[in-house]
Amino acid sequence: MGQNQSRLENAPILTVENLRVVFSKHGREVQAVNGLNYQLSSGRTLAIIGESGSGKSVGVRSLMGLLPPSAKVTGSVRLNGRELVGLSEKALMSVRGKEIAMIFQDPAASLNPTMNVGSQIMEAIRLHNPMKKREAEVKAIELLKLVRLPSPETRIRQYPHQLSGGMRQRIVIAIALASDPKVLIADEATTALDVTTQAQIMELLVDIQERLGTAVIMISHDIGLAANYAHDVMVMYAGKVVEHANTKSLFSNVQMPYTKALLGAVPQLTTIPHSRLTVIGGHPPDLSNLPTGCPFAPRCPRATNVCTAEEPPLERQNDQHSYACWHPVGGQPLEAAGTADVLKVDAQDGACSESSTSTQERAVFASSLDERAKR
Amino acid sequence: MAVTSAPLRPELGGASPAPTLPRTGVRWSKFRRRMITWLSGGTVVLLILLCFLGPYVLPLHPPVGGSVLNSALPPGSPGHPLGTDVNGNDVLSRLIHGGQASLTVGIAVNLIGLVVGGSVGAVSGYLGGKSDTAIMRVLDVLIAFPSLVLVIVLAQVLGPSLPNTIIALTAFSIPAVARIARSSTMKVMSMPYLQAAQLAGSPWWRILFRHIVPNIVPQLTNFLMLGMAIVIVTEGALSFLGLGIPAPNPSWGNMVYEAQQSMSATPQLVLWPALALLVTVLSFNLLGESIRDEVNTR
Amino acid sequence: MTSTADAQVTSPRSKKHGSFLGRTAGSPLLRLIIRRVLLAVPLLLAVSLLVFILLEAMPGDPARNQAGMDATEDQVEAVRRSMGLDRPAPERYITWLFGFLRGDLGVSSVSGRPVAELLAERLPVTLELVGLAFVLSVVLALPVALLAARKPGGIVDRLIMVFSMTLLAIPNFVMALLLVLVFAVTLQMLPAIGYVPVQVSLVDNLRSVTLPVLALAIPMACFYARFLRGDLGEQLLGAGYIDTARAKGAGIWRILWLHAFRNSSFGLLTLVGLNIGALVGGTVIIEQIFAMPGMGMLMLQGVISLDLAIVQSCVFIFAAVAIFANLFVDIMYAVLDPRIRYGSH
Repeated sequence: MGQNQSRLENAPILTVENLRVVFSKHGREVQAVNGLNYQLSSGRTLAIIGESGSGKSVGVRSLMGLLPPSAKVTGSVRLNGRELVGLSEKALMSVRGKEIAMIFQDPAASLNPTMNVGSQIMEAIRLHNPMKKREAEVKAIELLKLVRLPSPETRIRQYPHQLSGGMRQRIVIAIALASDPKVLIADEATTALDVTTQAQIMELLVDIQERLGTAVIMISHDIGLAANYAHDVMVMYAGKVVEHANTKSLFSNVQMPYTKALLGAVPQLTTIPHSRLTVIGGHPPDLSNLPTGCPFAPRCPRATNVCTAEEPPLERQNDQHSYACWHPVGGQPLEAAGTADVLKVDAQDGACSESSTSTQERAVFASSLDERAKR
Repeated sequence: MAVTSAPLRPELGGASPAPTLPRTGVRWSKFRRRMITWLSGGTVVLLILLCFLGPYVLPLHPPVGGSVLNSALPPGSPGHPLGTDVNGNDVLSRLIHGGQASLTVGIAVNLIGLVVGGSVGAVSGYLGGKSDTAIMRVLDVLIAFPSLVLVIVLAQVLGPSLPNTIIALTAFSIPAVARIARSSTMKVMSMPYLQAAQLAGSPWWRILFRHIVPNIVPQLTNFLMLGMAIVIVTEGALSFLGLGIPAPNPSWGNMVYEAQQSMSATPQLVLWPALALLVTVLSFNLLGESIRDEVNTR
Repeated sequence: MTSTADAQVTSPRSKKHGSFLGRTAGSPLLRLIIRRVLLAVPLLLAVSLLVFILLEAMPGDPARNQAGMDATEDQVEAVRRSMGLDRPAPERYITWLFGFLRGDLGVSSVSGRPVAELLAERLPVTLELVGLAFVLSVVLALPVALLAARKPGGIVDRLIMVFSMTLLAIPNFVMALLLVLVFAVTLQMLPAIGYVPVQVSLVDNLRSVTLPVLALAIPMACFYARFLRGDLGEQLLGAGYIDTARAKGAGIWRILWLHAFRNSSFGLLTLVGLNIGALVGGTVIIEQIFAMPGMGMLMLQGVISLDLAIVQSCVFIFAAVAIFANLFVDIMYAVLDPRIRYGSH
């Protein structure tokens, strides 16, 4: 992985333009996703990173129409040139599983406890490719071999509760691959697994991608995971993209303070034992009532007046890197001036200030960034 | 390539499963739920006031001893807004007095059920082990009966009267409440804070009253509302069969029975007590559901 | 009566988080069945004992009743001896119990006929009512719940929920009279009372049981439909396997029926089992209203005329039916649920 192809080499299979998702109920609107733009080519992996409520999950669910009826999706999603936004439920049914498939977070919950795993895979196969049960079973066993589940012939008759978490997630992946989808969405697919299994599953996904040329979107709150497995990374905050870059470029040259804060929240081998991890103080904004200016400003250590007054546009630094920030960090450690700013902003907002102010934490912050920058 | 995995922290939201629910929707459904709570609760309060104060405040005819000369007057007759029954008694007055009987039975049975059944269940769940098994086996025997069958036999053993109806019906309510109290108690008993209290050496009465009772009350309150509905219906059935409130004293059940006898001539006489039962049962059911939702969302 | 179980029923999903590694430990299913059956035996004994004690406490003197109003003391004593009432209570209980096991249920003091013979006449009527009402309640509840769950919060859903809540609040004896009022008195489509045995005419038999079966089934059906709708809706909102099914490209009916309902069926089964008792108990009052010559009516007449032999057997059989229904449900549950079938604990 990590081969640094130019995006132009491969024609994009998925093009998302100005995607917006608004939940409206009884006259009030919640803007969950606010103008997403990205392209994805076959064989590439895009990681979408953000806190819960940042819209990353809603953003990908909207691609296949998997949102509740109260959601209104606008903009454009083109899969191989075919527009998906506005398709009828029936037309979407033929997209789901066949063109775009999805792997969900909790393998324990993603499988129907009352059906054996074989029939759940066979259902996925036969929904888009009508065939006899026996043929589907042969295909299901093939799929289980593809996801490297040992002794698939016996596993196929077993029920989810008889399998381990890692095995279940392999089954879920097999279901997703049943109709050879062009785009595979992994929504926090490894979050519920232990670290070793997590690595195995991620390697499996990489392997499958190489073999089948599938385009992968991985949703994660774990920026480390994205650094290791994605070609491109998109950081979302409050329904908006705040930084979008090639993985290498992103981690060598972080621009957006939010991305940097996310990095600071990851424990590092270089971190002094028992030191506190940085957490981002405050809360994500109320999506039904977004503030003017940069949505991250109330929590941002670098925020100034311009940040609360005017929203920074998503600007292109170069071909591989765009970000939305008035005061990009530019890869430098924070100056001391930032600390005063934080205190001021926190006091203004009444937000909790316990988090990102102590100098010790700031050191951790900086060192973690250095660590990243060395890669 | 080391896989870094951040331990789940609330700030970074280890999970982002469902799309964030729009808060407005929650607020609206909350408002609607509140409205149902107020409506059903209001109806219950109104019913209780009407049935217990009505006989003293309203200019009602006596519920019994009417003259056959006034038999089966249509609704809207002078002095009889809902008309009279075949015996010439004022229907409205009988409805209100009958409601008083139904509500008295319902409240008394549920109070007894709450106190006796609640204590039995809480103690059983608190003690656990053999005494718990023994208590539950005894309750199983009572619960094994179809409740109406048991209540009918009991009512006949005791003889028809208001207090006896109450006693007979507690045979249903005590084991039901006890079971719920027991399961709630056992749930509380397994909570870390309770084990902490036990380890800290809190005396049993403190554990029982500080920790267990406050935690099982919401569950029981919800059941009591449903219990009111069930008891009122069962009382109606008993009185309908002539084993509950003895005629000529009114009860919604025996009013339905009397109306049945003259159904082809005066069908509206079935409707009044039926409507009274419907409104009462519906209100208690709705109130119970609201309380359950309230408990569950907490 | 129909909402008895409401507070106690929890979704089966919530209490099942078995061990994650599959292992087959002997046959958990068989062990479970044996344990349940073994538990049911002492329960039945205890129930029969309680019935006996209750009847001992019945007011009035059965011997005097039997002998008639103008019998002399001596005559009453003679009747008492012939009925075996002069012997001590424990002995009489044992006698009754062994008699019951042999099929000798004693003699009705009112009609003078053997109770077993009376029951043989009456039981089929009650079983027909209970059986049909049971099937109808489930058959009505299923499509209604699925229809409501198809679009949660939609107009169909709301109408169904309001309608079922209202019907649920109508006690079955009131429901019975309302049905008579509409279909027998006003429309004159169906007979108001009476039972036609199936041997006489199948059509007339079905016509005669329609209203009582409806009166028993409608409140139950509403109860089940509401439970099922709630459980399906909960799954549609939050269950991961529903998301998986949608992401596969499955349609709403397929999701509801194949995925959600399969999981709800266990909770429904529990509920149905708990309600068999209420259903059987309901026949007492429904048979009275529709003049159905079933066991419920037999029991009620026995209670009122202090016919101890009849009451004892009837009450015991009612309780036994409820116990066996629950036993059956427990076993069905175990047979159907793969988590129990293949052992997860």
